[in-house]
Amino acid sequence: MFDAINGLLAWIDNTTFAENVRESLWLFPTMECIHVLSIVFVVGSITRLDLRLMGLVERHRSVTELSDQMLPYTWTAFIVATIFGVLLWSSKPIAYLGMAFFDVKMVLMALAGLNMVFFQLVTFRNVSLWNSDSIPPFSARFAGAMSMAFWVSVVICGRFIGFV
Amino acid sequence: MFTALGDWLVQTPLHTFFSDTTKMSTWLIVPMSQTIHILAVSVLMICAGLLNLRALRIAGTRETLGKVASNVMPWTWGALTVLLATGIVQTIAEPTRELGSTTFLTKMTLVLISVAIAAVVQNTTKGDENYWERTAQRQSTVSLLAVASLTLWFGIAVAGRLVAYAT
Repeated sequence: MFDAINGLLAWIDNTTFAENVRESLWLFPTMECIHVLSIVFVVGSITRLDLRLMGLVERHRSVTELSDQMLPYTWTAFIVATIFGVLLWSSKPIAYLGMAFFDVKMVLMALAGLNMVFFQLVTFRNVSLWNSDSIPPFSARFAGAMSMAFWVSVVICGRFIGFV
Repeated sequence: MFTALGDWLVQTPLHTFFSDTTKMSTWLIVPMSQTIHILAVSVLMICAGLLNLRALRIAGTRETLGKVASNVMPWTWGALTVLLATGIVQTIAEPTRELGSTTFLTKMTLVLISVAIAAVVQNTTKGDENYWERTAQRQSTVSLLAVASLTLWFGIAVAGRLVAYAT
């Protein structure tokens, strides 16, 4: 199993694409720019919704009004960030996996995803009961706070990858 | 002028403190400052998006432009204050890279123009929420300002990231 994973990582590391990204002066900065900008939109758009779930902003608006407005942007930006994140990672797959900040960032993103799935499947199912409440129920406030904490931590880890 | 400012900053004790990578507490200053900078950019970009897409009548048309401006501008000014503070920290830590870079100076120029556009939209809608929608000519003007603003903020974010690669 581990041999197969190591073999795959070594293969990615040796692809012409990975070599080109490592040697090109502009390829990595360009892809990183798109990745960071997409993350900025993911975090900005999801934070607006998280703050509403916590009952801290725009209390006069319903939660679904804000989620309908923001989530298409969040998802689009997330898809772009993921594509370019994978491309950046593929330039040095073994080296990145050896960085603690990279590994923690991946775990945090998985936790953010789980938090969102749980929220969608459990808390959001009865949104009609609290949609217009200025302060949503504890489960929604908790989901918003966790989401914010995860995404801020993702940004922290992402930035620190560049410093190790 | 900027090169001279950079040369002077290098000699200040604050530069020595911010760029000291031998201690964990001081090593953290630049990456943490950059992280806060990125988070403030997130707030700023969403505010710029909400305001300008409303000006272009693409989103948020249930509210007047004045109402959207009064909602997002306090957040915009807050984010800009954080960006200025963290930007100053990073400039003091690496003055030569920042002030000697054409990319950085271009970014700063674009920031000034973008802030001026946002301030104009905020001030004109303060007394009259529908100021920009009263005539077709004003609507065209504010649409142009919105396109310019979105392009500029996008360019600023790109330039900001590319400063790291400037030589």
